[in-house]
Amino acid sequence: MHNPPDASGVRSQRTWLQKLLAFLKRYWFLYLLVLPGFVFMIVFNYGPMYGIQLAFKDYHANLGIWGSPWVGLEHFREMIADANFWRAAKNTLIINGYNIVFKTTFTIFLALMLNELRLKKVKSCVQTAAYLPYFLSWVIFAGLVQVFLEYPSSSGSSGGVINQVITFFGGEPINFLTRPDLFRAIVVISNIIKNAGYGTIVYLASMSTINPALYEAAKMDGSNRLQMMLHITIPAILPTIVILLILDLSSLFSANFDQIYNLYNNYVLSTGDVLSTYIYRISLGGGTSFELSTAINLVLQVLGLIVVLITNKFVSKLDIMGIF
Amino acid sequence: MKKKPAPLRRSMFMRLGFNFYDVAVTIFCVAFGLLCFYPLWYCLVASVMPYEEYVKGGLMLWFKGIDLQYYIQIFSTKVYTNSLLVSAVKTVLATALSVLVTSAMAYAVSKVHIRGMKLINALVVFNLFFAGGLIPQYMLYKSLHLTGNFWVMVLPGTLNISYFIIMRNYFSFSVSRELEDAAMIDGCNEVGIFFRIVMPLSRGMIAAVTLFIAVINWNDYYNYMMFIGNKTKLQPFAWVLHRMLTDKSLMNQVRNGAASLGFTLPPPMALRMATIICATLPIVIIYPFIQPYFTKGMTLGAVKE
Repeated sequence: MHNPPDASGVRSQRTWLQKLLAFLKRYWFLYLLVLPGFVFMIVFNYGPMYGIQLAFKDYHANLGIWGSPWVGLEHFREMIADANFWRAAKNTLIINGYNIVFKTTFTIFLALMLNELRLKKVKSCVQTAAYLPYFLSWVIFAGLVQVFLEYPSSSGSSGGVINQVITFFGGEPINFLTRPDLFRAIVVISNIIKNAGYGTIVYLASMSTINPALYEAAKMDGSNRLQMMLHITIPAILPTIVILLILDLSSLFSANFDQIYNLYNNYVLSTGDVLSTYIYRISLGGGTSFELSTAINLVLQVLGLIVVLITNKFVSKLDIMGIF
Repeated sequence: MKKKPAPLRRSMFMRLGFNFYDVAVTIFCVAFGLLCFYPLWYCLVASVMPYEEYVKGGLMLWFKGIDLQYYIQIFSTKVYTNSLLVSAVKTVLATALSVLVTSAMAYAVSKVHIRGMKLINALVVFNLFFAGGLIPQYMLYKSLHLTGNFWVMVLPGTLNISYFIIMRNYFSFSVSRELEDAAMIDGCNEVGIFFRIVMPLSRGMIAAVTLFIAVINWNDYYNYMMFIGNKTKLQPFAWVLHRMLTDKSLMNQVRNGAASLGFTLPPPMALRMATIICATLPIVIIYPFIQPYFTKGMTLGAVKE
């Protein structure tokens, strides 16, 4: 608080300074390594946070962000009265919920099957094929979905493979991409094909740490492979399953923009429009509701942050390294 | 006489230890592998199929002659060649910058005992869960004169938070403190430790992260779409593919170009598949190089030592 004028105070101050200099002399390089990343972080990650005030303002381009008048919670009231917002919120929760339930179940099943696969060559081939789609973008995947589900056109095209198979067996071709009732299924299935293979890596790694003696003992006791899977493998990977499930839950409000934006179209907005695409469409994607878009995004971020903080508590209770 | 081969076959199965369970498991795994692989294979085969065969449709399981007309057609469109150049330059610049900045920062922050590093770490990770959002980003880039500018595709993603976390964990677990302490006693300072010990030890990990980030940058179109919009000179290849799937005007441009070169008017789906293959090819080429690192990278980020 105050500098005592006596000699001992001066001396302690000097040693404090000397300490600092010695510290910097030893560690300056590490701070130098942090510096560029720190600058990028402040500008590009924290910089945009200044603009969040738009959610509480009436934006006029000539007045700038700071100069525009405050309007309090008006945009949040607008949001609550907006039917399209509620539709997008509902779709976001349903699609993310489906994705978590079906993708997690399928990924675990696939990992168990790969673990049971005894032909090593076949296993590595299947893994190579199954990991690849993870690295393709959703643009490419949307293209593949289009190629496979194309509806036969009047100009002579026989349609995508799926419709060709349907017509071959005497069925009526289905216009998959314009059917609102099929959109969520397409989203979930394409997500499984793209990401389930890569998702097995963590489970397989966790299975590889199981002590082989356990299986030997079970074999002695006469249990078959299915019983071993049910009573040894699954209990052993249960902690991993719980952690990944909790981490997945924190994505309940997450953006999902890339996938939905590339797959949806005007016909399927009723079941396919999610918050991130809605935020885009009412602002940069043709609309002018910049403030409403910022307000919805703020709500989404706060909800997401709350879920993450709760789940991180759970994860750290489980004695596994959380992300912080 | 007739029954003789049967017991022999069964005994071979038994010697391999194969039963119904194994068969079911194998069929399931192979089926999923094919499900992941077949769509790309279909596009590859269909896009080089001669026109007369192509219009017949079918499952396109194997090549029936190779005809590169669709590739010639798309590459004689200037939009394509230009966007490939943009994507290549953008990928190289953004990846180099991102890996340098992120790995340096991750290494320093992994030394949590040094004052301030914990705080910086918390500041970085917080961004994973809370960001300004689309419009605040747009406003910021506009005031920095980045909108409509090539650099908006390079600079904002420089600090890659996910790989920051993975590399931070790698540095704090894999580079042993004893080795650093020994070097310190031998008179090596922090600069020497970084360049002579940590970097050589982490070469493999950094190469893998570089390839992962390169894939992300190659696939990226978001910053172009949001902050550049309609400057066709700057569009990346991923965006051209998106337009081929949704935008009739580009499709017509390519088809009319093909007609003026003397080709029969190509089917839109064939052009789309050729474009998909072009966007996929670079990823497939570097895929074998990153595959050995999958397990390491994923588990480093997730599991405590």
